[in-house]
Parts: sequence; structure tokens; C-alpha cells
Amino acid sequence: MTERQVYIGGAGIVSPLGVGLGATERTLLENRSAIKPLELFPLMQGSPLPVGEAGGMTRVSVLPRTHMLALTAAQQAMEGYNHSPDAIVIGTTTGGILTTEELLRSNEQKKDLYRNHGLNTVVSFLARELNCTGPALTVSTACSSGTVAISMALKMLRRGQVEAVLAGGVDSLCRLTYFGFHSLQLVDNSGCKPLDRNRQGMVVAEGAGLLLLTTVKPQNPYGVLLGAGLSCDAYHPAAPHPEGTGAFSAMQNALADGGLSPDDISYINLHGTGTPDNDLAESKALHKLFISLPPLSSIKGASGHSLAAAGGIEAVVSTIILSRGLLPANTGLQEVDPELGLTPLSDPLECPVRAVLSNSFGFGGNNGSLVIGKADIFSGPVEVPSRRGLAIHGYSCLTGAGATAASITRMHDGGSVAGRAELDMISKNLPPRLIRRLKRLPRITLSLAAGARGNPDSVFMGTGWGALSETCDFLTRLKDSKEQFPSPTDFVGSVHNGPASQVAIMFGATGPNITTSGGDYSFEQALFAAELMHDESAGPAVIIGADEGHDIFSPLFDPSIEQGSTLADGGAAFCVNRKTGGADCSISIPYYESSRADGAVAALVDSLGGVSFLQNSCALILAGIPAASRREGELQLEQFMAQTKLSAPVLRYRRLTGEFASASAVAAALAVSFFETGAVPRGITGRSEIVIDSRMNKILVLGFGSYITAMEFSRL
Amino acid sequence: MSELIAELKVKLIDILNLQDVNPEDFDENGQLVGGELGIDSIDVLEMVVMVEKDYGIVINNQEVGEKVFFSLANLADYIEKNSSGSLS
Repeated sequence: MTERQVYIGGAGIVSPLGVGLGATERTLLENRSAIKPLELFPLMQGSPLPVGEAGGMTRVSVLPRTHMLALTAAQQAMEGYNHSPDAIVIGTTTGGILTTEELLRSNEQKKDLYRNHGLNTVVSFLARELNCTGPALTVSTACSSGTVAISMALKMLRRGQVEAVLAGGVDSLCRLTYFGFHSLQLVDNSGCKPLDRNRQGMVVAEGAGLLLLTTVKPQNPYGVLLGAGLSCDAYHPAAPHPEGTGAFSAMQNALADGGLSPDDISYINLHGTGTPDNDLAESKALHKLFISLPPLSSIKGASGHSLAAAGGIEAVVSTIILSRGLLPANTGLQEVDPELGLTPLSDPLECPVRAVLSNSFGFGGNNGSLVIGKADIFSGPVEVPSRRGLAIHGYSCLTGAGATAASITRMHDGGSVAGRAELDMISKNLPPRLIRRLKRLPRITLSLAAGARGNPDSVFMGTGWGALSETCDFLTRLKDSKEQFPSPTDFVGSVHNGPASQVAIMFGATGPNITTSGGDYSFEQALFAAELMHDESAGPAVIIGADEGHDIFSPLFDPSIEQGSTLADGGAAFCVNRKTGGADCSISIPYYESSRADGAVAALVDSLGGVSFLQNSCALILAGIPAASRREGELQLEQFMAQTKLSAPVLRYRRLTGEFASASAVAAALAVSFFETGAVPRGITGRSEIVIDSRMNKILVLGFGSYITAMEFSRL
Repeated sequence: MSELIAELKVKLIDILNLQDVNPEDFDENGQLVGGELGIDSIDVLEMVVMVEKDYGIVINNQEVGEKVFFSLANLADYIEKNSSGSLS
């Protein structure tokens, strides 16, 4: 195979350290902390805690702050590049929440004002601004989001399906994270001192850091992205594994992925949040991996911890380190903690750098490490990109009709399963002690994962809206207690990757653990991530799509859910691996593009093998047209049917599942059920039964609307 | 004191959602954190909030916290000693 080097062609940054590479470099060179008391929003009582606020964001916009931070970094990263990126992958945990918090406080009921709440609206906005019509994906794995986004971009580029991807992380300060981390007693009131003997915690910050990654060698590349490694602690929803086992494997995997040994690393950019637990666990992992440690430091004493943005920001800082030969100091450090056994840089150091290892670890034990090196030194990866398609060995679904058997039976009869299952029913097979703190979405998720059978090593989860109950309860109690008593439990539960990390804890799944959030295409994005990130040699994975229907938030946030309508929720989970023996069928996602792309429907047909191939193999089409996109969706479906002249029946599955973001996961479970029974029954076809045989052996689950997606299910 | 212990048992079962525990089975001298109830650091923080909200007592020191939350009896004792004597 051809080796594909992934070059860093552009880099954009906005953070407390400054706007742009030059300003950031100056702050680092001065060894100056940019942390100061919160000014961004008023408090109901008490004095403001120290935070890392991004300066220079004076542009007035109706868009949420996260979106504007992302745009600022994106424009810098794209400077001098005359094309649109082929794809964008953004890590974020906050989306439009700062704006949403203010709207909720003024009891605003106008749905349209909440249109930029969702995490996926950040990347959708960037895609429109940069005219990118390829995949626009959102990763939400708490504080490792930016790093995980970059590692997904790396795999996409190595696979050769795209030439240029914009990737990184962004988060804005908001009440949720400001009070959330405070409620966990993880904030150092005196500022942040990573690795210090007297460190008392982190400081919440904001910003955006994006890289333009490309396989076409730029004239003056900032560096090369050599490798990425992911892991999950599968230990606790908020605390790191005390021995740093996940941190160790993320670093080890990143080095192996880049074909490097620990000796090749010139500098380590630590996660180094300044919390007693993180810094200790990270130090243990470092000692285990490195016989002799290279220079290292955490920049979070200068910048604070910008959560999802941190991995992106520190990847950009790594490019400064490489191109300028400048190692940043461990700002804020007074007396290093002897228990750590580390010697962080007390002052900035100018010296040549060959390769940087950058760490990001997050809630749920979601870990990611990147290796970034100078161009033309290292030979690059030896990885064989994984094949398309995963084999399904078990599945489960949950709807208003109940668990798998009840849901599938009713749908086979053509009946509606729309609704919300009782929480007791969802929880009945789950250990009470495990779920006592969990609300609706994590319970749905655990119940699905348990029902899919198998013993997964990796978890890929898509959710349109995340844990709405926890988010709503956190913000409500915060407001009702005049910001005095925010709930630590609800804060930990509110992160989008909370449910997937619970799955990891339940199964001891220590492999990659990725949560995606792509509105109505969230499950499709989870499948996209699974196909991309699940290595040939890896054990089983579970792919989950789930959402909860929430009385207040669902009608306010989801454009397809009308106020006062009956809510539906649920989802589905699939146990997959690369072994085809004994599998029900295969699943893959051959198409994911914006409907704004020229000839999108024709490209969809091509991606599925062309007209005559489809005519001879497609048994059924399950079409996903969200209510809010009905007009354009119907038009796209009409075009698809006209171009293919297919005689296969078409089922608009939201008629059965009801409206919710991850309804396509339930449609996928329905598709798999037909392979199990060997036929599509009359209740679905509306005419005679269709037997799935060696010829008519494909079912398509198509998504229409602002994006066009195709999930393909094939008999093996 | 026994009234306070009984009150705390009900409160903890509620805020920690210990669905399968009855107040009468709750051993006030048993290990609270890290014991068989599965109570961890997040629960401790939730209890810290409850103690501040309902009894006006702030616990923001890890060492004190470890002693106070060692058992329900310790917690009751601490609340009694640190409250202004106006507890019902």
C-alpha cells in the first residue's frame, strides 16, 4: 500500500493565550498566565472564580460564542488554502449552551431562538461558511473531544477518501461547565498550578484550536500528524483510573500508530489539568511508558482547561513548538510535587524539536494522545486502513412499544412504535446499584448495550441531544438555588459521552470510546466513526444510537418535534466485529454528504454501486425524512427513485418510530431483523413478502434532509 | 441524635437514590463511602451540598470530609456539633 503522510497545512487558534499563532507564541514565551476572574457572564452571588477567557472576541453575532470561536480559528487555519476542506471534524461539548442558558433564564419559548443549541450546529455552521459539502462530524468525548476529532481526521486521510480535513476542538465558557466543575470541587480558586505540590484543581477555560490536515504536501508544512491513540479507562464517570492505565495505553497506541518509539519524542505536552488525581495518574502512566522522560510541561497553568478545545489548542501549540523550536514552561508551578517524580520545564526552552506527544484525557475515562512531528524526518505509518463494512452479530432496540421483540414484531406488522417506554421497563434488567444515579438516556443506552449481547472492547455512540434530563435538572437547580447548589451528579451525567462511558464501565471496554452528535444523523456518524476507527485486529465493538424524549427540551431544541406533540424516543445497539462467520448481515455507510453538494443524489447512486446493481440487489429502502426537512427530503427521495427506477418498496420509517434524532438506529435494527427472518413481511412492503436471497440481498437505510446518508445492510 | 440519624437515613436514600435500601436496614455505623452501598466521590459531593443546604454547614476540606463521611453516625455527630443548636 502507499504510505500516506498527513501534513499540517494550516493551524488556527483562539484561546486565553491570544488570537492567532503569533500572539499565542508570545504569551508562551513570556511564561505568563492568562487566567483571571470570570467576566463573561454575571453571577447571582459570590465573587467570580478564575477562568481562562478568550480575548479578542468582539465580533457581535446572533450566533453562540462557541460558533464564533470556531469560525475565528477556522479562518486562520484555512488562510492561504484555496479550496474548501473535504470534511470537517469538530470536538465540542458546549455547542450553543451559553446562549441557551440565557434564553432559558428569560423563559424564552420561541423555538427558532434555540436553533443553534445542538452540538452539531457548530460544524454545520463551519461547513456552510467554508463551503464544505463532505462529512461534517461532531465528536463529544468531554475533554478529549478535540484530540479524538483530530484522530478521526487522520484515519479518514490515511484511508484516502479525502485530501483535506479541518479538525480540532472548540468550547465556550458557560454556566454549565463553570458551576459544574465548581460543584465537583475540582476548581483551584487561586488559579491553576499543574504538577505543583499545592495544586488544588483546574481552571475552566474556552477557545478553539483547529488544524488543516492534508495528504497533499504543502510548500511549508507546519509538521506532520504521525499518529493517534485512543483508549477508555472504563473505571469511573468523572475520576481518572488511579494508575493511569488508560492514559498509558492512549500514549502507547499513539506511538505505535506513528511507528515511533518513546525515544523519538522530544517533548510531552501533558494533559496536566492541575487536579490532584489527574496529574498523579498521568505521571504514573508516563513512568510506565518512558524509561527516561523528555522535557515536558502542561500549558494549562497559562491557558486554563478549555475542555473539548484543549486537544485542538494543544495540537496547534504543538505545531508552534515544532516550527519555532520553543518548549513552553509549566506556568504557575512553584514547587513540583515530589510524588509525581517529574521535572517539568520551569521556563520556556528554545531547542530543536523532532516530535511532540500531546495528551488529552476526559470524563468517562475517554483518553486520546497525538504524535506530531517535523516533516521529512519520520517515515510515517505502516497501518493498513481498515476495510469497509462491519459484521453484525447481535442487536437490540427500544421504542415506545418496548424492548426488541415487542418493537420488531409491531413494526413487522406495519404498526407504529412511537412513544416513550416506561423507565421501569427500560431499567428492569439493569443492576440497581449501577443505575441509581442514571436518568433516562444512560438507562436507555445501557439497556440497549446489554441487549445487543457480545462483550465489546470499543463503544461508538451517536446521540442527537445527549442527556437532556441531567442537563435540564442541572440548570433548573442552579437557577432555583440562585447558583448556590449546582448538582455534581447531574453535571457528570450531562456530558454527551456519559452514557457511552457507562457502557464501557459495565463491560470493561477499554478500547476507543467515541460519542458523536450529528442531529438527525447522529447514529450515522457513530457508524462512520466505527467503520473508520475499529481496527481489523480489534475485538467486538458496540454501535449505539439513542435519544431521550424530554418534555421541556425536546420540543424546544429538535426542529422536527412540535410543541405539544407526543414524544418518542429510544434507539438501537449493534454488536459488530470484522468476523463474518455467524453474522446476521453486514453494515456500512458508503455515503455521507451535504445535500448542498452538486449532484448529491447522483453521487449517492454511484456510491451504492450504480443503477443496474441496485435494481438487481436492493430489496427494500427505509427512508429517513425528519419532519422539519419534509419538503427537501421528499424531493431528494423522489430524485433517487427517478434516477434508479427501483421497484423496491420504500418505507418512511419515522411513520413507525416517531420523530427523534436517532430514529435511524431503530430503522437499522428493523433492517437487521429482516436478515434474521430472511424476508421483508407484507406489513412493511404493503404488497407481497420479499424474500432476501443471494440476489436480492441488500437493504438501504437512507437519510435525507440537510445531509444525505446511506447505510447499507447486506447478506453475508 | 437518633432523630437526626433517622432523618439523615431518609435524606441519603433520597438524594443518592438508594432504591434497594430501607431506612431500617441502613447501618449508621457501617462504612458509608466505598462500602457495599457503592457510594463514591460524586455522592460525597452531593452530600456536601445537602449538608450545606439543609444544615448550613460547609465542608470544603478533604480531610474533614473523609472523617465526616466515614459513617452516617459520624455525619450526624458532625452536624450536631457544628450546628448552632437550633436543630429540631
